[in-house]
Formats: sequence, structure tokens, C-alpha cells
Amino acid sequence: MVRGVAVAYGIYLLLPIALLLIGSVGSSWTNSLLPTGLTGRWYLELWDDPSFRRAFTTSLVVALASCVINTLLAVPLAYSLYHGARRRGSFAAKIVSAMPVAVPTITLGFGYMIVFNTDLMPWLGSLPLLIAAHAVHTLPYLTNTLLADLRHLNLARLESAAATLGARPLQSFLGIVVPNLRQSLISGLVMVAAISVGEFGLSNLLTSFQNRTYPVVLLQAFYGATGFACAATVILLLLASTSALVSSSVIKKS
Amino acid sequence: MSLVLDKVSYHYAGTTHGLSDVSIDIRTGELVAVIGPSGSGKSTLLKLVAGLESGNTGSILLDGDDLSRKPVHQRHIGMVFQSYALFPHLNVAENVAYGLKLRKVPAAERSRKGSELLELVGLGEFAARPISKLSGGQQQRVALARALAIDPRALLLDEPLAALDAGIRGHLRDQIRTLQKRFNATTLLVTHDQEEALTMADRVAVLKDGRLLQLATPRDIYERPASCAVAEFVGLSTLMPAIVTGDGQLDLGFAQLRADTGARKRGDAVTVLVRPEHVQANPPAGAPNVFTGRVGTQRYLGSVVRYDFHLPGLQRPVLAESREAATQSIAFPPEHIRLLDQ
Repeated sequence: MVRGVAVAYGIYLLLPIALLLIGSVGSSWTNSLLPTGLTGRWYLELWDDPSFRRAFTTSLVVALASCVINTLLAVPLAYSLYHGARRRGSFAAKIVSAMPVAVPTITLGFGYMIVFNTDLMPWLGSLPLLIAAHAVHTLPYLTNTLLADLRHLNLARLESAAATLGARPLQSFLGIVVPNLRQSLISGLVMVAAISVGEFGLSNLLTSFQNRTYPVVLLQAFYGATGFACAATVILLLLASTSALVSSSVIKKS
Repeated sequence: MSLVLDKVSYHYAGTTHGLSDVSIDIRTGELVAVIGPSGSGKSTLLKLVAGLESGNTGSILLDGDDLSRKPVHQRHIGMVFQSYALFPHLNVAENVAYGLKLRKVPAAERSRKGSELLELVGLGEFAARPISKLSGGQQQRVALARALAIDPRALLLDEPLAALDAGIRGHLRDQIRTLQKRFNATTLLVTHDQEEALTMADRVAVLKDGRLLQLATPRDIYERPASCAVAEFVGLSTLMPAIVTGDGQLDLGFAQLRADTGARKRGDAVTVLVRPEHVQANPPAGAPNVFTGRVGTQRYLGSVVRYDFHLPGLQRPVLAESREAATQSIAFPPEHIRLLDQ
């Protein structure tokens, strides 16, 4: 019974991906269950399309930059939330955990459009603003992952032990807290990279023509041939999994 | 290094928990055990000495040096935590050497001292093991080695054996005590286990509701408790209210009792304390303080039987221990009766 449910769910999950893979190498796919003919031309066309190539790079840069910014922000943020919550209730921690659910990306996007379309800050459409927006959007996911781990490990206890052995607060943070958060940092960053690469709403509102991310360009593919759209989507899947892998391996080495 | 707590008071904001006016002096190399029920303030006391809590009144002096303004990492006090708090990302040797590394001790010296300490706690072969591969008892010993590695000015033990099986506890008690003596470490041990306190400590401090009830040698705490609360908390006992009716004479309400009343006057209210091992079963004819009654619940403990003995007129049964349970009568030998002032 349980096995049956798992298999059914697996099919439900994998079937669209399988169809995408099949569609991306089919030469024609109209009004039939499966495409006909075998071809590699959709991938070649995609490769020849400068806007897709450019978007591919942009997405990768935005995702990796978000990971770096998030690492620098989320570790101290989660850490201070953990200690603050132990002292003064967990209101701030709750806000952080609820933020990604409560604030839709479109709200965040409109906010950015209003604020950064002024003479004082005319940065709408720039790459740094896009990166900043992605970082803000994904920050709560990483912070939550870290916060859960901090609580689970009961790190305050280890910090007390380090302090009695002579560790100053910064020494115990760098020598005890950070190394013990490595696992959750890796899993959190994989999530950040995957969310950033697949993010559409925010990017669609904030990008200029030159800085479009891959999902934004992908939307156009759907107006063309089915095979081309499938191939472009397969590339997005690859992009998401690659950036997740890259971000986790960068952290593992350091 | 002597550790002196002088009139230390501390209150957790918004609660009545804390400490009031606790004074304890620990001499160089002495082990003082602090016992008390949960919420008595014993853990707070330890945290204040370690510096993990601050904001107390009164003073905590280590060799005359006032600790109250010093942050934890400057106090140089070793601490063993109840849950050991070993660093999971470091192996056994790295855990032990952590404090030395912070003190910038050269690597060769660190590893020499680390292995020496691991040998001392019997874990010489475990140096390269990850912490997760150790049993609770082994982790406890690593924690002790880690605390001793920094040559601490004082040693704090926070319920160090509470999480371990009874079988291993006795052995580790002796090991901790041996090492503590070898390092001549001025030690404060917090425990809720009175047996641990009595067997390990030079002196025992009994805390209740944040107040120090008594500070004395284990023998004095057991044999001459200062109050009913101490008598009730340390060891088993039968406590009965009584009124002094004359020199060496007491009225229990249901019977008369002979005991040394000291300087107490007629009419003074006291509590009579009798330890179970001092209750005499089936006393010979003519013995003083003989009472007849009936045996209640019996518990066979191997070397002795611990049993309840119901006396007519006394609400709670007398607790007694002997080779064989009494059949009809028991006696309280006057020399073993303690009187506690109310």
C-alpha cells in the first residue's frame, strides 16, 4: 500500500520530466501522445540563440551571488535570532520563518519597482539590484534551515563549554558554531540556488532586456515550437541542479 | 586556590527562583558537593561561579581575586557539563586540546599534554576517534580531561554522572575523585544524587529554595543534620514531632520517649529523628523506648530488609532496616535519637 503510493507519486513527479526529455529530441509534436522523429536541432538552435546563452550565464551569476550573500548574511542572522529568541521570545524568528510564505514575490517586486525607479536610486534593471532581490527572497529559507539546526544541536551548550575553556565570543563563533552548521549550510544553499534559478515573478519585474534570467527568456520559447520549448526547459533543469551542486561543493571545500 | 562565595544572592527576573545569601568557602584541593532538590538553585550557583550567569550580589573570590567582573573566558575555571558538551566536529584529542590551542600552546606540547591526560582517564587509544563513536562514560571522561587540560584554577562539575547507568557511575565516581586529588583541584560538584555527594565530597552543602541549609562533612550532614529539611533530603529517616517534658524525657503524643534533650527546656517543641538502621528489631526485655505494633511493607535489599513498622497513634509508619524484620516490637536506642529544633 505505502509502496504503491510511493510509486504513484514517483511517476507523477518524474513523468513530466521524462516527457520534456522526450519532447526535446522529437522533431515534431502536434496532437499526438508522443513526438515523432529524432533530432538534436532544438538544442543546436538553443545554443545558437544569443539571448538564451546570455540568460543562462546571468541566472548562474545571480544564483551564485545570492549564495555568497546569503552565506554572509544568514549565518550571523540565524545565530543572533537563536540567541535573541532564547532571551526575548521568538517573535523575530517567527517573522523570518513566515516571510517567504507571507510575502509573495510579486509584492516584493512591486516594492523594488517603486523604490528603485527614482532619481535618487535609478537602479531598476541593473544586475546588482536583481542579485539583491534574489538574495532577499531566498534569505529566509537559508536562515530557517540554519535556525532549525542551531536549535537541534543546542549550540548554546557547546558555546558555554568553549567559553569556559577560554574562547572569546568570536573564537567560539568561528571555531565551534560555524563548523557545526556546515551540513545545514550546504542543504540551505542548495535550496537557495535552486529557488534563485527557477525564480520567475521577481526576475520578470526587475530585469532589463540585457539582464534577463533564464526563466524570463524561457517564457518566450513557449510561443515557438514544442521541441524548442522542451529543450529550453531541460536546460533550466540542468541549470538548477548544476548551480545547486556547485554551491554545495564550494562550501564543502572551504 | 581557594574559592569563596560570600553572601551571594541572585534572582531570575520575574520569578522567585534564585539564590539568597549563600556563603560557601572551598579550600585549596577540597571537593565541596552541593546537593538539593530541583529548583534549589544549585545549578545557578555553578553558573555564577563559571560566569555563565551574571548579575549576582555578594562576591565570588578565587584566591582573593573578585570574579564578578570577569567574563567566562577569562576566569580559567574548568567545567564538566551534565551533557558533556563535547564538540562534535572535533575528535577526542582535538577536544581535549581545544583549550590549549586557544592559549597558543605549540602543537607538539598540545599533543603531549593531550595524550598524557587521555592516558590518565584511560582513553589513550581513543585519541583519533570521533566523539560520536564514544559511550556516555567515555564522553564523560573526555570532558573531564578537556577541563583539566587547561590547568584550571578551579573545577566545576555539573551533575557529571547523571546521564550514566548506575553500573558505571560508581567506578567513575572513584576515578573523578582520584584525578581531582591528583590535580589538587579546588572543586565544586553539583548533584541531585545524595550518594554521589556523600561518597565523593570532603564537605557537602545542602541547598533548598535558594538558601544554604547546612555546610558540613558528609558524616555530620548525615548524623547531625541541622534541620528537618536536611534530614529529609539526605538519607532515609523517620521524623516525629515531640514536646520536651523534662530532662531526657519527651512526649510523642502517643507515647513517652527517653533521649538526650541537651539544654532544651520543658515545653520545647522538637522533631525526633531516627535513621532506619538505628531502629532495633525485636529488642530484649528491659530495653528503653520499646514500642509494639505491626510490620507493613517489606523490601528485601540483600544485606538487609527495609520495612515499615506501624505504631498505634503514629500516622506515618516508622522506617526500619535490619537483617530480619521486626515481628511485634521495635526500639529506638536513646544514643541514636537526634532532636531537631523546630
